Amino acid sequence: MLQVYLPIAEISVNLLVILMLGGAVGFLSGMFGVGGGFLLTPFLMFLGIPPAIAVATGANQIVASSVSGALVQWRRGNVDTTMGGVLIVGGLFGSIIGVLLVNLLKSYGQADLTIALGYVTFLGTIGTLMLAESVRALRRERAGKPVKGRRPGEHSWVHGLPFKMRFHRSKLYISAIPVLMIGAVVGILVSVLGVGGGFLMVPAMIYILRMPTSVVIGTSLFQIIFITAAVTMLHAVFNQTIDILLAFLLIIGGVLGGQYGARAGQNLRGEQLRALLAIMVLAVAIRLLLGLVITPSDLYTIAPVETPRW
Amino acid sequence: MHHTRRVAFGIALGVSAAMAATAAPAQTPQGPDEIPTERVHSDISTREIAIKSNFTGIEIVIFGAVDYAPPDPKAPPYDVIMVIRGPTQDVVARRKERFAGIWLNGSSKVFHDIPGFYAVLSSRPLRAIAPEETLNELKVGFTALDLGPDDHSSVSDDLFRQAVIRNKEERLLFQYLDNAVSFIGRSLFRGTVDMPVNVPIGVYTAEVLLFQDGKLLSKDESTLNVQKVGFERGVYILAFRHPVIYGLLAVAIALLMGLGAWALFRRD
Repeated sequence: MLQVYLPIAEISVNLLVILMLGGAVGFLSGMFGVGGGFLLTPFLMFLGIPPAIAVATGANQIVASSVSGALVQWRRGNVDTTMGGVLIVGGLFGSIIGVLLVNLLKSYGQADLTIALGYVTFLGTIGTLMLAESVRALRRERAGKPVKGRRPGEHSWVHGLPFKMRFHRSKLYISAIPVLMIGAVVGILVSVLGVGGGFLMVPAMIYILRMPTSVVIGTSLFQIIFITAAVTMLHAVFNQTIDILLAFLLIIGGVLGGQYGARAGQNLRGEQLRALLAIMVLAVAIRLLLGLVITPSDLYTIAPVETPRW
Repeated sequence: MHHTRRVAFGIALGVSAAMAATAAPAQTPQGPDEIPTERVHSDISTREIAIKSNFTGIEIVIFGAVDYAPPDPKAPPYDVIMVIRGPTQDVVARRKERFAGIWLNGSSKVFHDIPGFYAVLSSRPLRAIAPEETLNELKVGFTALDLGPDDHSSVSDDLFRQAVIRNKEERLLFQYLDNAVSFIGRSLFRGTVDMPVNVPIGVYTAEVLLFQDGKLLSKDESTLNVQKVGFERGVYILAFRHPVIYGLLAVAIALLMGLGAWALFRRD
């Protein structure tokens, strides 16, 4: 019942399942302030959406969620547009590299493997870090010690690099090189994995660029709009892997879920939930890893012949 | 005016008569004195399959009748084989190999012009209807599919070939349906086949072969068009023929929806 045919993915899916998936991921991201793309894309693959389409359509969905988020931050004056602009320049380079890489890997039949391996690596790392962090915080809480904030900024290797620029909003005078590099790495992640890359961008801004925490979220969301929009365009042109109907349904679910998630997040205690999210992230990583190491029931697969576009 | 039209009509008649003469199967010579032999006619329950948002696959019925069937009660029964072929595509088969504990795609083989859909329906098991050579000659059955040069020297080639068939069968894109054709009386018959949700779009042919005593008596062919329609067709055409517009549209929709969500739920 309520089956809907996806015109590009060319499969029939249950409308409610897709709406609920978008809603659940939106709920989690509203609650934790994370993008949720790193959960959405693997779940789309579990539902049988071809990985390349799941990745590209995931990026398309993030355009919508990051616009809403960035507007809220913009109104509060928490966006450093200069920093965002430089990140976008780096990010565009990264996205082009990533999309061409996906196109090349697809023609060699290695795209699915690369996407899965990328997810296992990133979800495994993030999940472990998050779990360790929340276990530590929970222990500290139990021992009655206050939860420690981040250390004050100190000079690092970043400050010795040339091409210095002034970033007023962030009160920084640093080289553009690390900013461009961070932008490029996130651009590759967005185009290959279909994630927003906030989980990498935010720590990089805090620990490498030493940006004030107040502008980190807003600036990250601001640049993500442009990068995911560019990745959507590039995937549409090079790989034809954007399913507009799937994206539409995911956005609707995500918007509604996000509202409830944000409200729920205000009334709930963080650390236990953070540990729960970490366990979920690890579970998805393990599920993907098992798919790679368990001997498949059929060693042979077939696919239409694809030639690289470049 | 009248005159010219009649001439044109006459020419048209002549042309179609000539075409009919050349198109007439060789095995049914119809001299004035000869008793006409059996001829099969067939059609499909639908000429167009429209893939819309509610498409979850479809069952099609191919039906037909035998003309000029002699009223001989002792004559052996008729047999019918139906072959439905979808548009062809190039397919690559890949073999997974273990590397550092991970299964990844290793060696591969490309097969050209593989039908995207291929179903063989018959009134009895194929081997009971006609000898294998006849079936191969008529390109009936998976073994008769042109899956590249048949060098039996290479075992791996054969494994790839089997893999293509196995994978297609699992996705219901290749189907063998013994006893799927049933006769209603002596000369009327029908066969049904389920087309799955993932059927490729394009023009399909349904060939109907009439056998008796292991010999082909007559054949007929009809076509079927599988097309995406309406919204699905628009999306598909835009995505593949105008990808830049499609990409801009995808981005614009997401931007507007994000903006709408913000405007709808803002709390400041």
